[in-house]
Amino acid sequence: MHHRVPRLHGAFFRFRTLFSEELIALLLVLFVFVVPAGATTRFENRSLLMMSTQPSVTTTYQLSLDYMSPEPVGSLDMLFCESPIPYDPCVKPAGLNISQASLVSQTGEVGFSAQVLSDTHIILSRTPSMIVGTGSKSTYTFSNIVNPSSQTTSFSIRLKSHASTNATGPLIDFGSVKGQVGDGITIETQVPPMLIFCAAEEVADDCSETNGNYFTDMGNLSKDATLTAQSQFGVGTNATGGFAITVTGNPLTAGTNVIDAMQSPAESRAGRNQFGINLVENSDLGVGQNPEGDWANAVPTAAYNQPNRYTYIQGDVIAASPNVSLMKKFTVSYIVNVSPSLRAGVYTTTLNYIASGRF
Amino acid sequence: MKRFKSIILAALAVFVVATYIPVPSASAQSSSALSIAPKKNYLIEPGKSVTDKLVIRNLDSQQDLKLYMRVIDFTYTDETGTPKLMLDETEPTTWSLRPYTKVPETVTVRPNSSASVDMSIKMPAKIGAGSYYSAIIYSTTAPDGGNVGLAASGVTLAFVTVPGSMTEDLTLKSFGAYNPTEKKYTNFTVNEPSVIAYTLVNKGNVTEAPVGTITLKNWFGQEYKIEDVNPSKSLALIGQTRTFQACIKLASADANFKGTDAEGNTCVSPGLWPGYYSANLDIFYGQNGNLTKEITKSGYFWYLPWWFLVIVIVLILALAFVIWRTVVMIRGGSFKIGGRPRTKSRRRR
Repeated sequence: MHHRVPRLHGAFFRFRTLFSEELIALLLVLFVFVVPAGATTRFENRSLLMMSTQPSVTTTYQLSLDYMSPEPVGSLDMLFCESPIPYDPCVKPAGLNISQASLVSQTGEVGFSAQVLSDTHIILSRTPSMIVGTGSKSTYTFSNIVNPSSQTTSFSIRLKSHASTNATGPLIDFGSVKGQVGDGITIETQVPPMLIFCAAEEVADDCSETNGNYFTDMGNLSKDATLTAQSQFGVGTNATGGFAITVTGNPLTAGTNVIDAMQSPAESRAGRNQFGINLVENSDLGVGQNPEGDWANAVPTAAYNQPNRYTYIQGDVIAASPNVSLMKKFTVSYIVNVSPSLRAGVYTTTLNYIASGRF
Repeated sequence: MKRFKSIILAALAVFVVATYIPVPSASAQSSSALSIAPKKNYLIEPGKSVTDKLVIRNLDSQQDLKLYMRVIDFTYTDETGTPKLMLDETEPTTWSLRPYTKVPETVTVRPNSSASVDMSIKMPAKIGAGSYYSAIIYSTTAPDGGNVGLAASGVTLAFVTVPGSMTEDLTLKSFGAYNPTEKKYTNFTVNEPSVIAYTLVNKGNVTEAPVGTITLKNWFGQEYKIEDVNPSKSLALIGQTRTFQACIKLASADANFKGTDAEGNTCVSPGLWPGYYSANLDIFYGQNGNLTKEITKSGYFWYLPWWFLVIVIVLILALAFVIWRTVVMIRGGSFKIGGRPRTKSRRRR
């Protein structure tokens, strides 16, 4: 058995000259630097001007582009799809109709005639001829195009140039232009987006009821004990952008005297001036509740999501959802501590909870 | 006597007024449960105007909803779509709609009812093309009493696009696998990535919502395609560095939202195999009549979960063991666990 292993080693060793370090290095260089022979370039300065952006109206489109490859071009392929990516499946933009489109003018590279192949496909053809000035602007104007109907989805025209007259064979330049309709009044989806919000000492899960109490008397301030209170807010939206809840309002004040807000999340400590809030259950003081509701994407922001740690910065976003989030209920816990040196007085504040959409 | 009479009459009049005419007080209770439109988009040519209706619903079944309305500016908070409301700013921003927007100062909505409020935006004739935006804020009255009072407000974000020749300039800052919790890009992760993100810097004068695709490929050439890189139609505001997130695999769920259908989307496990992934981004942006611009970028990440690393380490150790054993055998020794290898010279002896 032992004598076979050196023999095997010797057999492989004979081929060492075939796979020298130089040969391997050469292969690596070729692998990295050899450029595919059929490389294409993108049309530059591509744009689409829709003379009207009203949904579903018949209008004129002006397509502009710069041919970049100094090669003979016989056809320009135009495919109308939702996605601009050339290799994606082409989904027809809803409501778009190009069946009656006609080429009414052309500048730059000219001599084309239009052929409508389908309800998403136009080919411009001409006798193949060399691109005269690469990088100079060419425009093609089409009349009788019916705009798409969807105001929430953009659409694209995928462009390819070919040497052949029927847009077959190797492509030369390619690229896409993007368009979108909008009716100048407002863009609405079928179901209008809604943002629902309520705030009170107690609110129902779906904001259908509140207990009608919008203030809390926290009692007498004491250097030895922490005063606590809680309120609730409910929020939900069917908007794809989600929501954000911002809180504004000064910390507790009495005249010119202020109980300092906690600028970063920290534990409650009696005997210090502290005013803070959070949106979770706190075991130390037995106040608060975790958010209630099925939608996991609606959450308190990091600073207000820490049990037994409180903070308050005016203008902070305290809860948010990045996308659709139906009703969720949050409980806000308030804590107040005072130092022995705090001046006597009636300390009050009004906190304004602001629900907004996101962009 | 006449003077005495007039004093009595005046006192009586004051008493009657004070008794029978209600005086609005801060303690008058108002509902704080409302439903509004979170966002409005308009396309307005220079010198033209639009009128629209804002629908506000009072969800409370017992109390009127009394709202104070005004227009404020906003900008971005961070790299997300959370608005930073500029409640105390007096000077309008360069993109402000405040000077051009009219809304009523107050509106009262009966319990369980809706109200349509007229609003209008008139853009000046000489205004430049681009995006303009502000927020309409609806505030409830502040309560009277207690230490901590609550007020609830809602905000509608209003966006106007003025058509024409615009400055559009998005620059790609980052692209790759993204951890939404830590808000960080990663090239190496032990947890399965579910989100691919790209960060764009908007240096133009128009808000941008890019479209396009992201393609992931693993070692074996298997493709995972994200066909919509901006499913929420999110915007990069003027001057904003915006991170757009796209799920590798998206799960949709239908739900009923106050009598209407709503679709919620969440990222779910895409079922990636461990290993190296290349990622290719191809996005487009551009307004009507302006250049359609394209941004492409390639990136990569390694997904190496702990269980995979353990297997790899075990395999490496096993391989090392086999090589060591082979080397020992080639050198002519024999292998014995826990003992010294016997050499040829030893055997000769």
